[in-house]
Amino acid sequence: MTEPFLSIRDLRKAFGSFVAVHDVTIDIPKGEFLTFLGPSGSGKSTTLYAIAGFQQPTSGDVLLEGRSLLSVPSHKRNIGMVFQRYTLFQHLTVAENVAFPLRVRRRPDAEVNRKVAEMLSLVRLESFGGRYPGALSGGQQQRVALARALAYDPPILLMDEPLSALDKKLREEIQAEIRRIHRETGVTILYVTHDQDEALHLSDRIALFRDGRIEQIGTGEDLYLRPASEFVASFIGNSNFLPAEHLETVDGAATIRLADGSVVSGVRIDQEFSQGQKTRLMVRPEAFRLRPGPATAGLAVEFIDTAFFGERRRVIARTAAGQEIDVRPTSDMAQPQEGIASSRQIFFDPAAAFLFPA
Amino acid sequence: MSGNFLHRQPILRRPDGIGGALPALTLIALFFVVPVVALLLRSVTEPVPGLQNYAILFGEGTYARVFFNTFLVATVVTAVTAIVAFPVAWMLAIMPPALGSIVFGIIILSMWTNLLTRTYAWMVLLQRTGVINRTLMDIGLISEPLPLINNLTGVTIGMVYIMLPFMILPLVGTLRAIDPMTLRAAALCGASPFDAFRRILLPLSLPGIAAGGLMVFVMSLGYFVTPTLLGGTSNMMLAAMIAQMIQSLLNWGLGSAAAFILLLVTMALYALQLRLVGAKRMTGGI
Repeated sequence: MTEPFLSIRDLRKAFGSFVAVHDVTIDIPKGEFLTFLGPSGSGKSTTLYAIAGFQQPTSGDVLLEGRSLLSVPSHKRNIGMVFQRYTLFQHLTVAENVAFPLRVRRRPDAEVNRKVAEMLSLVRLESFGGRYPGALSGGQQQRVALARALAYDPPILLMDEPLSALDKKLREEIQAEIRRIHRETGVTILYVTHDQDEALHLSDRIALFRDGRIEQIGTGEDLYLRPASEFVASFIGNSNFLPAEHLETVDGAATIRLADGSVVSGVRIDQEFSQGQKTRLMVRPEAFRLRPGPATAGLAVEFIDTAFFGERRRVIARTAAGQEIDVRPTSDMAQPQEGIASSRQIFFDPAAAFLFPA
Repeated sequence: MSGNFLHRQPILRRPDGIGGALPALTLIALFFVVPVVALLLRSVTEPVPGLQNYAILFGEGTYARVFFNTFLVATVVTAVTAIVAFPVAWMLAIMPPALGSIVFGIIILSMWTNLLTRTYAWMVLLQRTGVINRTLMDIGLISEPLPLINNLTGVTIGMVYIMLPFMILPLVGTLRAIDPMTLRAAALCGASPFDAFRRILLPLSLPGIAAGGLMVFVMSLGYFVTPTLLGGTSNMMLAAMIAQMIQSLLNWGLGSAAAFILLLVTMALYALQLRLVGAKRMTGGI
């Protein structure tokens, strides 16, 4: 087996009795865009800081091409980083900021100038070299920070919620820039965010953190379509959880009884359930339909509110057991708005639903 | 209509504070502006009208020496104070606020302790048979007492100690405004701790150093008690010379001229600094 490019091995970080990171292990191939996703306090930033050298882990190791980074001080790790807050050097111009890492490396002037020009054109701020950071917008400042972090061709780029201070439109714009820059430079990126859309948009793989552990690691599709736990299912995308009792499993497909007494067969499962075990059935809002299809199961509901959103409708429905569920079927020409409210059932494909232990 | 509108506009302004400021402004006018003008007049009228007092001060070697010595002491004191104050200010800036306020309190307390007491304490510590020399001789580090008093060394030690709070306070303000993440960014960019200090921290803290430096320099220029008690007769400073001219020699004209030169130099320095650093950054944006 070949040596992984960057390897995090049993990383653990404790602050007194509080364990921020529990034995996290990840192998990252060269050129990958890996996102650490999770709620705040889930250990994703602490893991990133251990790689940056800002925090010494309690145990475990960080290996770059097989060599441990832990005994290397931050300034010798040769890692690039873009921070959540604006960290440009306010007393230096944009060009001097980008040149800074090259100056401290005592590179010749000609190389510094060439590299600064190259980096500023990479982040599309060619004409901003002479300005001071204070005269730039937040989005421009983060692009300069990106140029500064890439100026010395680091093998790894760390990004710690770099877009969280920006408004939505600007965020999407810079996400596209980051994707392009990742494509053009091939740098390995470790990206921290608590924004699932950002993670899905940017990443090759996502590591979903919860309470200092990795709950699931995989592509966005893996996490969305094949969530390993109820936490993953509820964190990525929207989901409805219906209480259910497990009756039996035949050939990896479960039969369950919902709270209103209806029995559903053919539910996909990845784990063993005992007979009579309390479970929760997860159905994505967009997996519901307003009309029966082949092999769909029906759910008796009362419609509370419907709204039309163009490509989708948004329906709030209440089950016979009194639970409100979020339904977002694709818009259907044959079923106008007024037709919906009169119906008394919604439908879903059991094979697209997931069963988790309660 | 528009006339009416204009009439109402002053209501929207902040209530003016001239009434409340009047007593203080009167005091400053009566006891600062008037005496300064009187000083200037005396320096060009006594004993006879003309600029002879200034000619004497600039022309005679003795006085030139005092001027030179005054600037030398002020420069050395300012530089040493800045170097000693910086680590303290940095520590205060990064300390947890609760602990920081205790250290802050101790620094402020030293400012409130009587100046004369503190200077006499330094005399006890620094003299030939003082605590410092005796201790150093007892542990065998030196065989002869070090000349720590009645010279530039003594003045510098005593004045740096007194000036420290005036450098630390503005510097802490400037350093607190620097995001520690900026220094982490510098480290990841490859800057060694020394490079990060020299290229990032020091330039960013310059406004604070300049503000504190001006304060310390100007105060040092006119300092009387400490240089008189800890300095020797051979390195007399301007304030002591002015006191001597007026008290012992009763030469009001010459003393006034010297005092006026001191005031002009101070104002020139302040103007220079305003140009270099900018008034906004000096006063914290007021």
